[in-house]
Amino acid sequence: MDILWTGVFALLLIGYFALEGSGIGVGMLLPALGGTQPDRDRVVAAMAPFVLANEVWLVAVAGVLFGVFPSIEGEVLSGLYPLVVTLLVSWILRDAGLWFRRRLDGHAWRAGWDWMICLGSYGLALSWGMALVAMAGGLSGSPIGLPGLGGGLVVAAAFAFHGWTFLSWRLPGQVTGASRAGGALLASAGVAALPVAVLLAALAPWLLEHIAPSGTLNVLSVMILPFAPLMLGAQVWVWRTFGPRRAADRVPSFF
Amino acid sequence: MDVLDLARTQFAVTGSLHFLFVVLTLGLAPLVAIMHTRHAMTGKPAHERMTRFWGQIYVINYALGIVTGLVMEFQFGMSWSGLSHYAGDVFGAPLAIETLGAFFLESTFLGLWIFGWHRLPRWLHLACIWLVTLTAYASAFWIMVANSFLQNPAGAVERGDHLVLTDFGALVTNPMLTMALPHVLGAGLWTGGFVVMGASAYHLFRRTADRESFTGSLRLGVVAAFAGSLVTVGFGYAQFGPVSLFQPDKFNGTPLAGIGLGFMILIGQLLQVLIMFVLLPTVYWLPRWRWAHPILMLITPLPFLAAIFGWLAREVGRQPWLVHGRLTVADAMSPGLTKGMITLSFVGFVGVLGLLAVVDYLLIVRTVRRGPAAVTLGADGPADSTERAHALSL
Ligand code: HEM
Repeated sequence: MDILWTGVFALLLIGYFALEGSGIGVGMLLPALGGTQPDRDRVVAAMAPFVLANEVWLVAVAGVLFGVFPSIEGEVLSGLYPLVVTLLVSWILRDAGLWFRRRLDGHAWRAGWDWMICLGSYGLALSWGMALVAMAGGLSGSPIGLPGLGGGLVVAAAFAFHGWTFLSWRLPGQVTGASRAGGALLASAGVAALPVAVLLAALAPWLLEHIAPSGTLNVLSVMILPFAPLMLGAQVWVWRTFGPRRAADRVPSFF
Repeated sequence: MDVLDLARTQFAVTGSLHFLFVVLTLGLAPLVAIMHTRHAMTGKPAHERMTRFWGQIYVINYALGIVTGLVMEFQFGMSWSGLSHYAGDVFGAPLAIETLGAFFLESTFLGLWIFGWHRLPRWLHLACIWLVTLTAYASAFWIMVANSFLQNPAGAVERGDHLVLTDFGALVTNPMLTMALPHVLGAGLWTGGFVVMGASAYHLFRRTADRESFTGSLRLGVVAAFAGSLVTVGFGYAQFGPVSLFQPDKFNGTPLAGIGLGFMILIGQLLQVLIMFVLLPTVYWLPRWRWAHPILMLITPLPFLAAIFGWLAREVGRQPWLVHGRLTVADAMSPGLTKGMITLSFVGFVGVLGLLAVVDYLLIVRTVRRGPAAVTLGADGPADSTERAHALSL
């Protein structure tokens, strides 16, 4: 049971980086790839149907952290306090940009929220990189520093690469000028998830030491595992429904 | 204000903001699902327009529900790590089940519903909004399980320096839950019904297009509010039983809790009398009584207000305990939390979320005012000429 739930936690966190890394990367590249408003609209529309299904992996990570590793949750979140604040504020601004950008007409409104999407995406990538470095250092000392910044840049570069590959897969030969197949997207997802996967491998013994008692884990297993097929099925459904072959639609995007 | 006050205020403000949006989500989801079902069954364009119109209001409201909820979830570990140390083995379970078994599915299916217009097969698309509704209610259930545990720590015993879960059945049948959950869900339906009623009244008053549709939705709103009010008031009074048993001095201890309770009941009783004896009996004629429409618009915000008063009563009345009788709020605060840290997050969360909440409500008002013709959710033609050019080149 201990191994299973540590695995679930790792899967969710790796899944978040592999999936949402592309959305964050696309957000970072938004001004670079979208010189004009219609270009930016196409870039955002390409990622839009995946955003909700992707970002929810991190919500699940936080939930499992609380339920399965309660003694770690407080330590990590208060140890990384300033980074958790920048991460959440960036996330909020990014999401607000997506939800709000088309709700009013007017050029300035949409362009302004597009900048918010870009800013929030950079904030997310940098905060993540710094948080990973601080975790690797055992949460000793200030979570903000030069090594952290280096980590932030690495994660940002990995996300940008993943976002670029995603766009070349979803809109082949269009905004990026390149075409990528599903295999390349899988590979870039691996690149985006690599830093966190390495960290999780190193931290696994520590995680196992702090896992909740078996009474709690049994309850979680009974209540959650029956839903696992539905959760995975819904995710697969999203990727099948909105993949590149179905992308040629005439419907204006909601985001 | 010291660190503790700031941390408490931050939690109270973000929590209240969160609930303002969640209460409408809970109430609108089933109403949108009902409208979508009618559309799927009849295929009538008028029903489709209504589904998309109310759906867009639902979705704009949902955006703030998510972002405020994120902050809530992370705040436990940031400011209140004492809670996870002392009670995490128990309190964490319903939260984990909520995120994985409910919210994860809700968000995924909502994405499919929003972007699946004209893409998913009709019945699968309809299934998405019903699944969104179902998982939203499941979410409410698990969050209320967690909250009720704080009110009355059932199903757990103290071992050493922390609580362990011994009886899951007792956790989910907590007497502080069984009456409160229907009360909250009823409040949601009431709120959703009032928003549908008020927005319909606006269009009927302004004599805009879609007269027939708004006549129908005004009636739907009144009926939903009536059903919600019966459940809310019935289970509201029923809550006094468990409260007097587990927290006998709840509403005498702190004035704020008593004030919250008083105003909630005042608003609730007045509105219930109005709904039961005036709005419901005249619901057939109400859409035609133009003089009544401004009144309907004016009372639309009242259930929101009552809901905030209700939470004030329940949560302020719990003070000074975080886990009633076991762990105080002061003891639960994260040990290393400094004034600088909490000030940073206070400005970030309360400031940003407060601004976005205002923007979100303005966008909802604007969506209501512009009416069904301007809705972008599920629109099946390109919105403007530049988009048309690009859509054709895709
Ligand atoms: C009219 C009669 C009403 C009565 C007798 C009533 C009673 C109560 C009581 C006793 C509580 C506190 C429970 C506790 O401290 O544990 C409560 C809480 C609450 N009330 Fe009401 N209430 C009424 C109307 C309303 C209305 C109209 C709304 C909103 C539309 C509302 C929303 C809430 C909420 C959100 C809570 C907090 C959660 C809960 O304890 O259920 N109430 N109510």
